[in-house]
Amino acid sequence: MPSLRCSSFAPLLVAALLFVPGEPRAAESAKQVILATTTSVRDAGLLDVLLPPFRERTGIDVKVIAVGSGAALQMARDGNADLVLAHAPEGEEKLLADGFALDRRALAENFFVIAGPPDDPAKVREAKSAAEGMGRIAATKAPLASRGDDSGTHQRERALFAQAGVDPNATWPGLLRTGAGMGPTLQVAGEKRAYVLSDGATLRAFRERTGLVPLTGRDPALRNVYSVLRVDPAKFAPGQIHGEAASKLADHLLSAETRVLIAAFGAEGDEGPLFTPLAGSGAP
Amino acid sequence: MSEPSFATLSEIALRTLVVSGSALVLAVALGLPLGLLLGGRRFRGRGLAVSIVNAAMGLPPVVVGLVVALLLWRSGPLGSLGLMYTPTAMVIAQVAIALPLVVGISHAAVGALGPEWRLQVRALGVRGARALWLLLRETKLGLLAAVIAALGGILSEVGAVMMVGGNLEGETRVLTTGILMYTQMGRFSEALALSALLLGITFLLAGTLTALQQAGRR
Amino acid sequence: MSGVVLEARELRVRPFGARSERRGGTESGFVLEIEALDLHAGEVLAVLGPNGAGKSTLLRALGGLEMPERGQIVAHTSGPVAMVFQRPLLLSGSVAWNVALPLWGAGMPRAERRGRAQRALAHFGLEALAERRGITLSGGEMRRVALAQAFVREPAVLLLDEPFDDLDARAQEMLSLDLRSAIGATGVAVALVTHDLRQAMLLADRIAVLLGGRLAQAGMRADVLRRPASAEVARLVGMANLLPGSVVGRDESGYAVVEIAGECRLRAASGLAVGTSVLAGIRPEHVKIDVGRGETSVLGKGLVARTLHDGVLVTAWIAWAGHELRTVAIAGRGLGHALADGDEVPFAVRPEDVHLIRR
Repeated sequence: MPSLRCSSFAPLLVAALLFVPGEPRAAESAKQVILATTTSVRDAGLLDVLLPPFRERTGIDVKVIAVGSGAALQMARDGNADLVLAHAPEGEEKLLADGFALDRRALAENFFVIAGPPDDPAKVREAKSAAEGMGRIAATKAPLASRGDDSGTHQRERALFAQAGVDPNATWPGLLRTGAGMGPTLQVAGEKRAYVLSDGATLRAFRERTGLVPLTGRDPALRNVYSVLRVDPAKFAPGQIHGEAASKLADHLLSAETRVLIAAFGAEGDEGPLFTPLAGSGAP
Repeated sequence: MSEPSFATLSEIALRTLVVSGSALVLAVALGLPLGLLLGGRRFRGRGLAVSIVNAAMGLPPVVVGLVVALLLWRSGPLGSLGLMYTPTAMVIAQVAIALPLVVGISHAAVGALGPEWRLQVRALGVRGARALWLLLRETKLGLLAAVIAALGGILSEVGAVMMVGGNLEGETRVLTTGILMYTQMGRFSEALALSALLLGITFLLAGTLTALQQAGRR
Repeated sequence: MSGVVLEARELRVRPFGARSERRGGTESGFVLEIEALDLHAGEVLAVLGPNGAGKSTLLRALGGLEMPERGQIVAHTSGPVAMVFQRPLLLSGSVAWNVALPLWGAGMPRAERRGRAQRALAHFGLEALAERRGITLSGGEMRRVALAQAFVREPAVLLLDEPFDDLDARAQEMLSLDLRSAIGATGVAVALVTHDLRQAMLLADRIAVLLGGRLAQAGMRADVLRRPASAEVARLVGMANLLPGSVVGRDESGYAVVEIAGECRLRAASGLAVGTSVLAGIRPEHVKIDVGRGETSVLGKGLVARTLHDGVLVTAWIAWAGHELRTVAIAGRGLGHALADGDEVPFAVRPEDVHLIRR
């Protein structure tokens, strides 16, 4: 067997791999933004409408990484994202307080909805408040599909339980923790004929497929605000956070033109818009 | 989410071919020589190397994905390269998953020749490049099996590729991540369409390689 | 005497790793030490020894596959050295392709390769199998192919590791005949390694006995067989009868008289001094129990202890002087009667056939 001289070109190949052409390099950081956001925003399709005008105008590549709010905020803490779009007020406040975010500005809002099987065995419809509705589900140990992933939706779920006097960590046989996004969680709820707390937009998108019906109205406790947070570049190594590009994106999302797009989103038919724009209307 | 057109679906399929193809070529180019070396030569620590390769063959792909992500994230050591959420990152992850397969199986193919093979071939007066050619000829079946195994692993990979690629529309969405996404969104017709494409590609490629392999069985 | 083609001088070889011979095992501390060994053109040297003695190591060293720690192998020829291993390697492809392989390795053009391969195939009667696949062959056929592979290079030196292993007696005979004629036709120098005396005898012109990594004896075949240098060598070369005794005098013909026990004595053609303690070695075929032809005087009478009849030869153990003499004779010939246990038989041994080894 000859001494395989080709074994020495293996490391060369590995090095060459890193230089596959067409990938943005550190010098081109101004052209790339990592936007960490929630699955509900992605699944609703809102960003598909809001981002293309920005891409066209600035040529900046926006990478939308849809994980839960909790994970998005953690990415910000780790310096793995430039901009966060989340709907978890407590977590966002903490991020701001801990100095990882430059600011927190409201983008849009809609309402969470408690949805469930049409026959509503726990009589959530008759509850006087959203918190009471969740309390009834816990009291009757009705099946409940929970995201269990520290997302904005999950955090709201726990807050409502706390409001109803139920231990947020309580568990019963019908409690199904999917650890997944809103869509899959809704599908599970539909299959198991369980209750579920969901944002209005995703629920509407999945309503036919799952057969779930909304059981609550516009309770203030269900108000769901989406905010934009810019990650502070100063907290990390120089160049790690693409602050300039992120600021441009933030400005675009909060601009007047975008408000129009948001207001029009999903407004076909008689259902009304899925989101209400908030930018420019003061602190959330 | 916009309705995916035929153009979108074919774009996803094409990207799958490019990413998986590159990963396969790289894994084979790196792995075959390594496997031949590992199987053909005796050296100190060879037993350890073989154990590592065998363990790596069973490594869960998602773990590989996580490790690659940890490396490529902005906060990671290679973050400044800006490779996260790019096709390159996906190729890296797929190569990492497929490489142990190629090395492990090709090393076994060479090992099956027996410990005296090298010596005997040399004793017959065949050396250098000719000896290598002979080795490849004799292990052809096993080597192609390694390639087919790598192909299977690469084409079916979803977890790692999702993690390091992000399933970004128009950039890093491939058939597997697309299928997963559409399924989670409940859009089963798109999911099935992509599945059919993926199966088609898999059968086509695996079939071609198998034909090559069987041709060597004359 | 033909010319020396390959010689080993002051060789010391430590085999790589713990490579084991087929049925034995070499310890990691094993060392092969050879003062001098020669291979002559047109002659076969059989290297005989028990498993683990270092025979394969020696062969590999001669073939340049093991680096000696000390000493050197000197080749007095520029021709190739071909080696055939214990387990012949056959690659996928036809028999003809396999046989031509060494020529391909040397870069020979196809037309020339084909001609040479044909001749090699003919030497070993393989023409009919030329297009068969390697894996479909029997053990004996595979060995022929391996030999043809070696001969196709027109080697100056041929090294064979247990070439008759796993072959039945008839196959062994046929192969030795073909090998013998091929050797004669090409004048190649051959070293053949085996643990089996019979296999060695089929082809050997010279014999070298290897014991524990050292050369116990080397010389022309007849010399080694008739005059082994030690008891171990004697046993290896088939001198089964080794009777302890001492030289007590000389007779009128000048032969040494060896006393085995009491009145039981042998005469040996030896120059050892009176009083020497010796082992009297006699090959079984030299113990004649078909006495009556008047060749030599009767030496003694012994009792038949047991017999073995394999259809061709009769082996008998005869009790005499407190020992058992092993003797062998061709069945039916020279024995006017069948031997039965307990029979008293006279036997004779020529003094020239008694070999004395100092004890």
